[in-house]
Amino acid sequence: MIELFNIAKAYQREQSALSDITLRIDKGEFVYLTGPSGAGKSTLLKLICCAERSTRGQILMDGRNITRLPTRHIPSLRRNLGIVFQDFKLLVRRTVFENVAFPLEVQGRRRFEISKKVYQVLQQVGLEHRFSHYPLQLSGGEQQRVAVARALVADPLVLLADEPTGNLDPDVTLDIMEMFKAANARGTTIIMATHDRGLIWQFPRRVITLDGGRLASDERP
Amino acid sequence: MIGQLTYFLRRALRNMRLSPVLSSASVFAVGIALALLAFFAIAVLNVQRVTESWTADLAIIAYLDQPPDGATLDRWLVEIRAYPEVATVTYVSPQEAYRRFQERLGRDADLLEGLGADVLPASLEIRLKPERRQDTAAVVERLGRNQAFGELHYAREWLERFEAFLLLLRTVGAALGGFLVLAALVIVTNTIKLTLYARQDELEAMTMVGATSLFIKLPYLIEGALQGLCGGLLALLASFVAFRILLRESLGSLLLLTGIDTIHFLPPLWQLLIVAAGTLVGLLGSLLALRKFVRFCQE
Repeated sequence: MIELFNIAKAYQREQSALSDITLRIDKGEFVYLTGPSGAGKSTLLKLICCAERSTRGQILMDGRNITRLPTRHIPSLRRNLGIVFQDFKLLVRRTVFENVAFPLEVQGRRRFEISKKVYQVLQQVGLEHRFSHYPLQLSGGEQQRVAVARALVADPLVLLADEPTGNLDPDVTLDIMEMFKAANARGTTIIMATHDRGLIWQFPRRVITLDGGRLASDERP
Repeated sequence: MIGQLTYFLRRALRNMRLSPVLSSASVFAVGIALALLAFFAIAVLNVQRVTESWTADLAIIAYLDQPPDGATLDRWLVEIRAYPEVATVTYVSPQEAYRRFQERLGRDADLLEGLGADVLPASLEIRLKPERRQDTAAVVERLGRNQAFGELHYAREWLERFEAFLLLLRTVGAALGGFLVLAALVIVTNTIKLTLYARQDELEAMTMVGATSLFIKLPYLIEGALQGLCGGLLALLASFVAFRILLRESLGSLLLLTGIDTIHFLPPLWQLLIVAAGTLVGLLGSLLALRKFVRFCQE
């Protein structure tokens, strides 16, 4: 469960990226974060994964206050999160297999366990035949599927996705959404930032709308 | 544990393979700096051997106006042996001095024909303990009080000058070496920084999947240490080649004049120190480079 209390984030004294955000996301929920560009969607995701610190307020994750989490504890928090970015952020010098295996290596899992798990996830995203390719040898859609596989391989409690379908064509977008739905069905909480209203219509879930850094609406289907 | 180390080593080797030019630059920077240092060390150590051998032969010679009678000689020997600085005292009779001189002249010994065996003065050869050689002047001063000793001869002043020269050589070597090692450190740091700039996206991705600071940094630290190690080994190889080609010929012939028959390469401990210094420079270089690169959170 993630709870935000009066969260504010200002980059400069006059510029407020987020103001007074209070909301609660239950375990196993699928939530869209939407709003126009600059609404604060990405900033909110960054605060949840501690990539940035809030200026005010508190974020509780399973009752633990992560707002002032010491830097040395951030890696252990992130091992429970899966993160998907619009620009994939794959390791271009590593193969598809190595990219997906990386979160498990970080956790110190055994090699045979890593191989088995990576193969399973690559099967789920339909890329098991491209395991030895490098990211730059893949299409944009395939790269995003690798990024999703990497985010899901360690069975995270929460998946944060920042415009994951922003650069993809409609067919690949549908594939990615199906993967998110499947992960959500297995119990992973999904928080997905998107400004694609069509996608929200097509896969209706709870929608949190931000506007100018403020909570504009919170609607459930 | 061993599995983890192998994993990090594999990643370090892979990083090196992916940037061969930058890695080679680091290896050569460390190699050249340490090779020059090793070159100096070979010269200094060998010159030091010369002074050590000379110092070992160094004795105070007290020439006697008249050969003493047995009782007087015994008294002097007992008295001088009691000095805390003195290791040995040997009486050299005029006949013994004559025999030694003859020996030294070798084939020209016939020059002494017609001279009596007692033409040379008797003397006492006084050798000091190695750790008390700096007290030579005090011993000479004490011996000078005995009126029977006509002349006191010792070569300390000349040796002191030579030792001062050796100190200068050592200081110049250390300063030059220190400067070069510092330059190598800067080069290694900047080389690894360039590698890190090129892989900033990769570092960010690593922090986002939960890698700890140590997990990210360790391969780079190993990479730096490996480059330093290779640099150290390269320095040893280069200095050995230089020793064989240049030093052994030029310095060897110079030292031969002084009675040293062969010149030596660095002793094993020094070789180990050169390689260890290289490894340390590489490790320190990557540690300095990594300081600001791995960031988990924009504060």
